[in-house]
Parts: sequence; C-alpha cells; structure tokens
Amino acid sequence: MNMLEARRLTKRYGGELAVDQVSFTLEEGTATALIGPNGAGKTTTLSMLAGLLKPTEGSVEWDAHSGIGFLPQHPQFFPWLTAIEFTEMAAKISGVEAKLARKQSERTLEFVGLGQAMNKKTGTFSGGMKQRLGLAQAIVHQPKLLLLDEPVSALDPTGRREVMDLLKSLQGQTTILYSTHILNDAEEMTDQVLFMQRGKLVEQGSLAEVKKRHANPQIRIGFDNSEHAARFLQSNPWQAEVKGASIWLPASGGPSMEEVLRVIASDPAGVNAVERQSATLEEIFLKVVGAR
Amino acid sequence: MKQLGVLFQKEWRENLRNYKIFWIPAVFILFGIMEPVTNYFLPQILDSVGNLPDGAVIEIPPPEPAQILAAVLGQYQLIGMLVLILAYMGTIAGERKSGTATLLYVRPLSFTSYFLSKWMIAGLIAIISVWSGLLAAYYYTFLLFEQVDFVKFIQFAATYSVWILLVVSIVLAASAALPNPGFAAAVALAVVFLAQLGDGLLGAYWTVSPVKIPNYAAQWLVDGPVRADFWWALGIALLLIAMAVTFGVWMSRKNAADTKV
Repeated sequence: MNMLEARRLTKRYGGELAVDQVSFTLEEGTATALIGPNGAGKTTTLSMLAGLLKPTEGSVEWDAHSGIGFLPQHPQFFPWLTAIEFTEMAAKISGVEAKLARKQSERTLEFVGLGQAMNKKTGTFSGGMKQRLGLAQAIVHQPKLLLLDEPVSALDPTGRREVMDLLKSLQGQTTILYSTHILNDAEEMTDQVLFMQRGKLVEQGSLAEVKKRHANPQIRIGFDNSEHAARFLQSNPWQAEVKGASIWLPASGGPSMEEVLRVIASDPAGVNAVERQSATLEEIFLKVVGAR
Repeated sequence: MKQLGVLFQKEWRENLRNYKIFWIPAVFILFGIMEPVTNYFLPQILDSVGNLPDGAVIEIPPPEPAQILAAVLGQYQLIGMLVLILAYMGTIAGERKSGTATLLYVRPLSFTSYFLSKWMIAGLIAIISVWSGLLAAYYYTFLLFEQVDFVKFIQFAATYSVWILLVVSIVLAASAALPNPGFAAAVALAVVFLAQLGDGLLGAYWTVSPVKIPNYAAQWLVDGPVRADFWWALGIALLLIAMAVTFGVWMSRKNAADTKV
C-alpha cells in the first residue's frame, strides 16, 4: 500500500526552480533515502511533503489519518521549556489525549536516551541532545510517516551510530523518508533510494535495482606484488587494467569468473585474492551525479 | 479549541520564565507612583534647584487628584505602550524567524488557537499592568493628596483597558503579518502614533474615535464623557480589536511557510 505519493512536485522561488517535477511513492513500512549534494532541493522537498511549504505545482497525497512526524535539520526548541514539557505539548497538539500524552512522552524520551535530562530546560541542551529531542518530538504521537531531514549529519560518530540504531528499530512499523548526504548511512538503512540533483530526481528505485542498473561488477585479482601481476598478464593476454598489485578485468567482454579461476588454479603464483566487486552506493551516486 | 489550553500553558510558561509577567507590571507601577510623588515634592524640588532670589515665595496650588491620574495615563500613552509593543513584537514573527515555530506548524495546529493563546496572554499581562499601575497611582494620590471616588476610578481604568487591548491586538497582528520583530514593532508604533497624530490634528471635527478613548477614560474622573460619543468609540474599538484578531489569525496561517526550517 502506498503511504505517500508525490506527483510532479515543483517549487519555484522567483525564477529559480528549487524542486523540479519530482514524483515518487513511499510504500508503507519502507525506509527511503533521499540522497543528494547540498543545495539539491532535499529540504525543500521534505518541507513540501510535511505541509510546511506549498508546492508551486504538483501535489502530495497521503493518508491523512496516519499522522506525520517531522525532524528538521536543525530543530529549534523553546529554550525555557523542559524536554518533557515540550514533548508533551507536541503530543497534545498532534491529537494525543491529555491522559496518554505524559506517559507517551516519558516513554519516548527514555527511548531516545533523554530519560535523565527529561526535566532539564532545552536551552541547556547540547547539539546531540537536541537532535535526540527532535527525534522524540517527531515520534511521540506514533505517526505512521516519518520525515527526517539529515537526521544524523550533525552528530559525532558515536551519536550517529546510536541515532541510526534508533531509526533502524523503527524501520518496518513506520514509513521513513530521510535525506542524507552520508552514503554509508543510506546504504545501511534503506529499501528505496532517491537521488536528487539541482532540484531534479535523477535516479530512483530499490537499492538492489539501482545497484544492478549501475553496478558493472568487475573481477579483481590481487597479487603479492606488481611483478606477479605483470607476469600474470604476460601469460594471459587479457584486456585488463593494472592498479598497483591488482588487476581489474572488465565487467563484460572479458573472461568469465570460471575461466579466471581455472587459469589461477593451474598457475597460482603470487595470487592472494580473487573477487567480484560491485559498486558501492557512493560510486553509483558519483557516477549518476557526475554524468550530468 | 482543545489546543487553546495547551498553547496558553506554553505562553504562560514563557511569560513566567522570561519574567515578563513581573517586569512589565513593575514598569507600569513605577510610572504610576512617580506621578503623584513628583507632584507632591514639586515645591521642594523647585526650591532646591531653582535660583530664585531670596524672599521669593513660590505659591503652587496643589493639583487636583484627577489631574494626577490623568497625567499617569499620559505616561502610559508613551512609555507604557512602547514597553508593550517591544515586549510582544516578536511573539509570532520571532518564533518564525528562529524556527521554533516549525515544530508547531508541522502539526495539525489550529492557527486560531495559536494566535488567541498569544493574544490572551499579552492582553492579560497588559491589563494586569495597567490596573496594578493605576491602582498604585490611585493609592499614592490618596496618601499624598485626596481620594478620588472609587467608582469613577473603576470607570477610568476599565475604559483605558479597552484602549490598551486595542494596542496589544495591533502589535500581535503586526507580528503575525510581518517577517521580523523589529519591522512589526515599527509598524505597530507607526499605526498607533499616526492615528493619535491624525486625531490630534483633525480630531476637533469629530467626536467618535477609538483614539479618543484615553481622553474619555480621563473624563470619567470628573463628569464623565458625553455618553453617546463614549459608547460609539468603545464599540468601534471593540470592532477594531475583533478585526485585528481575525487578521492576525489569518496572517499567522498565511505566513506559516516563512518559518525557518
């Protein structure tokens, strides 16, 4: 079932197109990574999905009853409210009953690791704590759709790890769309990827699909040193690229894996590794974005 | 409307924790006390600073108590209004500019409740300030001069409260309509002072104007204003308040997209 559908979403500021005809759907219960360089239009897209910005053209359709949670890139809190006061207010405005709001807020703050700081004023919070509180206010009313703008890019490696783990524990029960420019994170938690550049969606699909489309798997043969590699190529005149102590065989038109293994089995001098390498998300991203 | 209570609690906490609920009334009380006290000590003050020849006798008739209270309004018309405008110029524009509003606007927020919660707290503090300030003035006038009839005083303070509520409504509407707190304050000040200037220059040609309400308030201390003029002015002021609130609700919804994300 579709949780959300964006149709030819467009945002124009003056003459400038911030977001240009972006269309995609979010399946219920999936995690989608919106990937793109700074200024690609990710935040503008998320703001339109969250209902903060009105699209110039196009539409967003989603199940209005499901509730929405939104975490901006730099969430700002009222410094004179405590974490629990803020979370409780957020829950109530989102329609959580007064009786439940307190309990749900406490549980959520425990969940994001702010159990100890619940009664502290948010004005005293560090960046990492604010990010956690931002996550807490986004999930306290148990929305079915979660929109997160760069949820981890402002955090240090430990904080990043912890917040990613929190998000992963929500995966499956909640539909998540998050923007990022950190591709390792995207690879870790994503069913679908959307690549954005200069306001346009330049590639989309499931992670597996996109990888397959751009993967171009190559075979790498590793040697102890470059002399071994050179000698190997002399006795096997394949079209290949030599990089240091490795040789790379092209994805198509070259010998198959079986053939390579047979050759090596008969003459294994100096070989220490044989592997099929598929591209990482980062390489695909650079390829897709760089090609334009 | 269920959100009104939640949002009012937020505003209450803000005004309590940034001490607005204490210092704004304190300013009004200070200026309320200063007027009767300076009037009382005026002969001594003149005596000590004036280079009068020996033997010159200063004969100042003691001021009427009603005049003193009216003079307090004169102070509030300048300093009191300035304090209120500066204190509440950012109540909506500031939230949008800093981005604190974003986490509210992204929810199914009732902008009517949002605006009303702010209007209620600003109005409440303005009225508390005016009444505590005027009561202080009333008490010191009684101590140092004579007592003013209490019923007349109530009519005086209640009438002025309507004017101050109108000023607060204008500031909040400006804060909802304009992109930043400074701009909102400038526009609110311009509206209020231009209206006063216009009424001051041309007001002789008409008797019904909400800008005359402070004058009518002072008249209650003596014989009371012409009733028909008073009620018309009051009615128009209440209508303007309702219009400012409606406009403020509409503008806060319309400008929600300007919040910093």
